[in-house]
Amino acid sequence: MKVLIVEDEKTLAFEMEAFLKKSFYVCDIAHSVKSANENLELNQYDFILIDLSLPDGDGLEILKNAKMSHPNASYIIITARSNLKDRVTGLDLGADDYLPKPFYLLELQSRMQAISRRKFGITEELLSIGQFKVDLPKRFVLFEEQVIELSRKEFDLLSYLLLHKGRVLTRVQLSEHIWGTFVNDDFDSNYIDAHIKNIRKKLNAWAETEWLETVRGVGYRVKKS
Amino acid sequence: MKLSTKLTLFITGSKLAVVLLFLLALPFLIKQIESRYTTYTLKQQKKKVLSIIQKNGLDYYFQGDVTYGSYTMLKEEFVALLPVADKFKMDTIADSKRLIESDTLDYKVLSYTFKQGNKNYLLEIGKTTERSDQYNKPLQRFALYILLALIVITILIDLTFIRVIIRPLSRIIKTKLLNSKFPFKSEQKRIITSTTDFKYLDESLINLMNQINDAFYKEREFTSNASHELMTPISVLQSKMENLLAEENLDEKSSIAIVEMMKTVSRLKNITSSLLLISRIENDQYIKKENVNLFMLLSEITDEIGHRLEEKHLQIHINVSQESILKNVNRDLIFQLFFNLIHNAIKFNRERGSITIEDGKLNNGAYEIRISDTGIGIPPADLSLIFDRFKKTNLNEDVGFGLGLAIVKSIALYHNLKLEVYSEVNKGTTFKISKKI
Repeated sequence: MKVLIVEDEKTLAFEMEAFLKKSFYVCDIAHSVKSANENLELNQYDFILIDLSLPDGDGLEILKNAKMSHPNASYIIITARSNLKDRVTGLDLGADDYLPKPFYLLELQSRMQAISRRKFGITEELLSIGQFKVDLPKRFVLFEEQVIELSRKEFDLLSYLLLHKGRVLTRVQLSEHIWGTFVNDDFDSNYIDAHIKNIRKKLNAWAETEWLETVRGVGYRVKKS
Repeated sequence: MKLSTKLTLFITGSKLAVVLLFLLALPFLIKQIESRYTTYTLKQQKKKVLSIIQKNGLDYYFQGDVTYGSYTMLKEEFVALLPVADKFKMDTIADSKRLIESDTLDYKVLSYTFKQGNKNYLLEIGKTTERSDQYNKPLQRFALYILLALIVITILIDLTFIRVIIRPLSRIIKTKLLNSKFPFKSEQKRIITSTTDFKYLDESLINLMNQINDAFYKEREFTSNASHELMTPISVLQSKMENLLAEENLDEKSSIAIVEMMKTVSRLKNITSSLLLISRIENDQYIKKENVNLFMLLSEITDEIGHRLEEKHLQIHINVSQESILKNVNRDLIFQLFFNLIHNAIKFNRERGSITIEDGKLNNGAYEIRISDTGIGIPPADLSLIFDRFKKTNLNEDVGFGLGLAIVKSIALYHNLKLEVYSEVNKGTTFKISKKI
């Protein structure tokens, strides 16, 4: 998958690239409207991530132009502006998603994955993990033919971990994904731990869950099988 | 007391005082005038008598007698002519008592000696002074009536005039102080008046309002800009940490350190977003066009933070009408408002406590929702501080109210909702939200 990162903050662009590289995305970086347009003329991209405030213009202009030349690419607007008007304009112009700064790279990647799934119409969403199968769109966990009841939050948590298989997810990342930024004001809470405990309890009744690892002091990870 | 009433009262008082003084002085004035007039007539009469004597000789009066005396019927005036010793000389006008036909009366008497032939004569012309006293009383009374009538008329005129003159003042108060909502309109209308004092007052108030507005907008802009500018560096920090954490050969100690840093950055992010949220609300960046079913909203919130309720073993009772709908609001903001209040009710509750949410109609027809907890409560001294940004309470140094309630306040203000709080230490706190009518 080829990604164009349009972001004038060079360090951030670099970090985005470093993160996405690990998931085998190939990234180009543009720091201005001009260099973004040059890149768009030369290459084809699957994803175009656009920061709105650029030194030589508005990211929305890039979106407008690129939509013509790259109709098949997916667009995610990334901005610190994040007011309603920008959001609506961005989505009206055909952006697939909108991510306000500051965001977790993990969240960015999840959004990209979700867009890909939508785009390629992946209906066969039964992910296997251990002896369980997880249906993401229908939101349930199966053991053989048996449906295992998980609460909404528990399912969110489990699927987020599954989608980032092999990666350690911290409690802050997890709770921000599940509850959003504002809820997150007591940082030493153990809500995530409580939910994980419940998930394990419910699944252990049917089979082993050693694939769901606790990484001491850091967070949780679903082992790569 | 109103300024116009005060002015009228003062003017009336001073007018009455002047009139009283005048009435008291009236007898004296009349006496003065009369005395002058009497002196004048006496002199005129003397002239006349002397000219007659000049013309017709003394015998015209004496008629063969040695003296002459005559008085009017009521004895108000008399004339007397009599010979006196050669050496005797007089030319005076003086008050004296005279006995005329058994009546002793007060007269002003002109005495004048003159020579005729070789004899010396004394001419006396008298005029009573008693008469003037008779006039005083009725004159005073009439003057009193007339002056009182005049006072009433002038007061009426004063009153209308004062009202007209003062009117700009009440207009200034009405438009600039009572009816102006903060932040003020940028183009304030000047009051039309020819009174420079009012113009000055109006101008000063407009200046003051503009200054306040400026300061307010600057602060707002600053908060918004500062929060914005912080977002990108926070993104950088956060991304760097995420990438660091994903390093393959990271030891446990470093991982834990990075996680701690991520928590701190997350807190920073939380504060910044909260400030940004408040400044966006204050900048009217939210559309208020949605209708929200409160019961559904509250259920959604409790679902969202159910794990927090469970953790503290809290009971939550929601006695809210399922038909209650808040009209023309911003759903996200209303969600945030109730979320923060319920979150607070959990955070400051005691183990195995409870939270009650109920609604109802107030006597004045307003709709009210109450959120009560059985928590630690807020000391009276802190009650006024809890909605301020970053205020720490005296009760607990570590747990500040942060920005949660500041956000609640901004959202309530933005939606014209009335927000009240009642609390008792160790018993609990109740937040009341009502829709003003």
